[in-house]
Amino acid sequence: MAYTRAEKAIIWLCSLPDIDERTRAALLRAAGDPARLIDDFEKISAAVIQGAQKRVYKDDRLSRERAAEEALAALTRAGCFAVTAVSEDYPEALRHVYRPPLVLYGTGDRSLLKTRKFCIVGARALPAWAEKKGKEIAEELTQAFTIVTGFAEGGDRAAALGALPSGKLICVLPNGLDGCYPASHAQLKREVCKKGLLLSEYLLGTGVQKYAFHARNRLLAGLSEGVLVLAAGQKSGTLITADCALEYGREVFAFPHNVGAAQGEGCNELIKKGAFVCTGAEDIFAAFGIEAAKKQKTQLSAGEQSVLAVLRQAGELHAAVVAERAGMPVYEAQAHLSSLELKGLAVKAGGNRYAPL
Amino acid sequence: MIAKIICYALNGLEGVPVEVETDVNRGIPAYEMVGLPDTAVKESKERVRSALKNSGLLFPMNKITINFAPADLKKEGASFDLAVAVSLLKASEQLVGAVTDGTVFLGELALNGDLRPIAGLLPILISAKGHGFTRFIVPKANAREASYLGGAEIYPAASLGEVVAHLLGSAPIPPLQTQTFVPHAAKRGGGADLKYVKGQPVARRALEIAVAGGHNLLLVGPPGTGKTMLARCLPTVMPDLTFEEALEITKIHSVAGTLGEEGIVTERPFRTPHHTATVVAMCGGGNRIVRPGEISLAHGGVLFLDELPEYQRSALEAMRQPLEDGKITVSRASGTITFPARFMLCASMNPCPCGNYGSADRVCTCTPAEIRRYRRKVSGPLLDRIDLQVEVDSIAYDELSSREKREGSAEVKERVDLARRIQRSRFEGSGVGVNAEMGERELEAFCPLGDESDKILRAAFEKMQLSARARSRIIKVARTIADLAASEEILPAHVFEAVSYRIYDKLG
Repeated sequence: MAYTRAEKAIIWLCSLPDIDERTRAALLRAAGDPARLIDDFEKISAAVIQGAQKRVYKDDRLSRERAAEEALAALTRAGCFAVTAVSEDYPEALRHVYRPPLVLYGTGDRSLLKTRKFCIVGARALPAWAEKKGKEIAEELTQAFTIVTGFAEGGDRAAALGALPSGKLICVLPNGLDGCYPASHAQLKREVCKKGLLLSEYLLGTGVQKYAFHARNRLLAGLSEGVLVLAAGQKSGTLITADCALEYGREVFAFPHNVGAAQGEGCNELIKKGAFVCTGAEDIFAAFGIEAAKKQKTQLSAGEQSVLAVLRQAGELHAAVVAERAGMPVYEAQAHLSSLELKGLAVKAGGNRYAPL
Repeated sequence: MIAKIICYALNGLEGVPVEVETDVNRGIPAYEMVGLPDTAVKESKERVRSALKNSGLLFPMNKITINFAPADLKKEGASFDLAVAVSLLKASEQLVGAVTDGTVFLGELALNGDLRPIAGLLPILISAKGHGFTRFIVPKANAREASYLGGAEIYPAASLGEVVAHLLGSAPIPPLQTQTFVPHAAKRGGGADLKYVKGQPVARRALEIAVAGGHNLLLVGPPGTGKTMLARCLPTVMPDLTFEEALEITKIHSVAGTLGEEGIVTERPFRTPHHTATVVAMCGGGNRIVRPGEISLAHGGVLFLDELPEYQRSALEAMRQPLEDGKITVSRASGTITFPARFMLCASMNPCPCGNYGSADRVCTCTPAEIRRYRRKVSGPLLDRIDLQVEVDSIAYDELSSREKREGSAEVKERVDLARRIQRSRFEGSGVGVNAEMGERELEAFCPLGDESDKILRAAFEKMQLSARARSRIIKVARTIADLAASEEILPAHVFEAVSYRIYDKLG
């Protein structure tokens, strides 16, 4: 796709290695029209950067043009595109976040930027039910939204896997698009590139920095109309996303967790502060006034029904206790539980214990 | 005069006949051994000399040449001593009138003329009987082992003196009475039993299915929850050994020199190699004599690998092929030997490095990356070969265990025997013994899935992203569950239960 001269100027500006983000923004403001950056960089930089004359900037317009073309070619070679602040599909919602990125690098389905977006995040360690339910909700939400999430293990992965089949998925990385963190998500990354969209505000080749996770979280909240927190501990990074969302005036949803469960303390805290309690996709649809397609009821056998009833009553139970309460041998209950699991009505919580969904 | 005496060398599990030819000539006294003897065989000269002297016999002071035929086979060990001594006696005309043709002499000599036991006697006897030999003179200490061989005259001798007296007819040794085989003869009732295992209803059931269908089993659970205890119960619910099986297992243990007092293996072996075991220790090898490894010693029984991820990767991977083929071929400079290795693999591991992952009352402190790293130590292809993966409970369900009736091994064994009988009649004449050994052809013939079962499996396949091998494993386990329920058909409930025993595919 063709880039305008203004877009090229911004891409070039962002490919300069020794200018920080704040200076870039100041340069752009001073230039007015971004294309002037390439034409009159000496004048603009002298006004903005202290001691700019002492630095060696090639004072030659043609070489700047060439450098801009090269930066673009490098991106295209890597199969990426750039969405700049002046591009027509730059997400409007992003302009109101703290330090909106001048350029978003992306690879995959660019048209997803124009869709309605909803963010699902969760801590890396989360209860089995939250993971499974999160995946399910992500899948249902794709009826109306594109799911925005990070690229971490646990909650992010669950959301990504839920939305991936429909292709309505945006993952925002805390590093350059050519890197993969965590490395174990290499396969997931390939699939997201193919079906969904990967975004990053960092240049190709940028490694993972600690601060980048924080910065990435502002984009997650900024891109989306609302944020669902699957699970978060007391000091989870996930809460940063929720805080950003509140700051930007987005809706915040959270799963309610057991009192005293360390993995859910952050969520309960959010609810106390006024976040929506979410127990299913319908809660989110209702908050946005969206009519959702009805879920079709799954057919259950008599045995499965009695096992499910026992589970629903107790919350989480050991298979042997389920069997005893439902009045059947353990191996029979085991078969029913595993069938419920395949139908998405129960989940194995580890140690032969099962939880209803 | 030239004397020829037959004895046997061991090559893997096979006995190879060796002829000891002795020629005593007049000349300057000398003692020459030819025919590739190793050091232990060459040293027999001194043992034989002392043994003869101390048995009141004469060591000829002539030019002696001893040849071991076939000349190209390496002769190792001390089991030729008796044959060398007897051939020497015969060549020096001290055994006039004795019949030695068609008799196999086996045994190591002590300096005072006593006969010492040798390793691998039973495999030698079985091979020799196959070669048409029916008369044997063996060390008395090996008598129990030898007494299980029917249809042969076996004379156990305590010393060289007894052998000579027997051959000359002055004091014949009574031949051994053939013993009938009684499985589990000695240890029935002792040691592990399922009735001592508290709770663990899920793991118990998995154990029963595993034994009934010959499936491999993985027990996952926090430390100290009784994984080892459960595994030790496995041999107690396995079917009794048949005589043929016992002989085959005894052969292996005889070669390895691990045969106990009893002289024959009556219980299914339960081997627990330490996790520092090397590839050679697991699969067999050695630089001179090729010895069977742990997987062969576990033949017909259970190989229990405690803390599976701690084992050396190479040692585990080397087991993959024997797990499929039921045998292992070891190649060394000295030759290529095939040992049987049809064993049931039972492994145990913690769910994560700290052991608390999935625990109800304790918090797991591991990061997802740590857990993955820990689990990745066990390769996917190996996990694929383990049909049943089951979690062991970390907490004692007091309220449950008090009311629940605890079954002993004997009751479980009855059900297992029944399921095995069904399998035997189904697989008659096809070379397959248990469900786990079924190939694609048998799967198609004996495991037709109904429409509903097929649909379930398809759904499970999609949700759990199973490999093709895992799919046929699930069907095999479902077949065993159906056999335990004496059901001709594989019902949906059987498939569901089988799917629930593949936790590792879900955890990914």
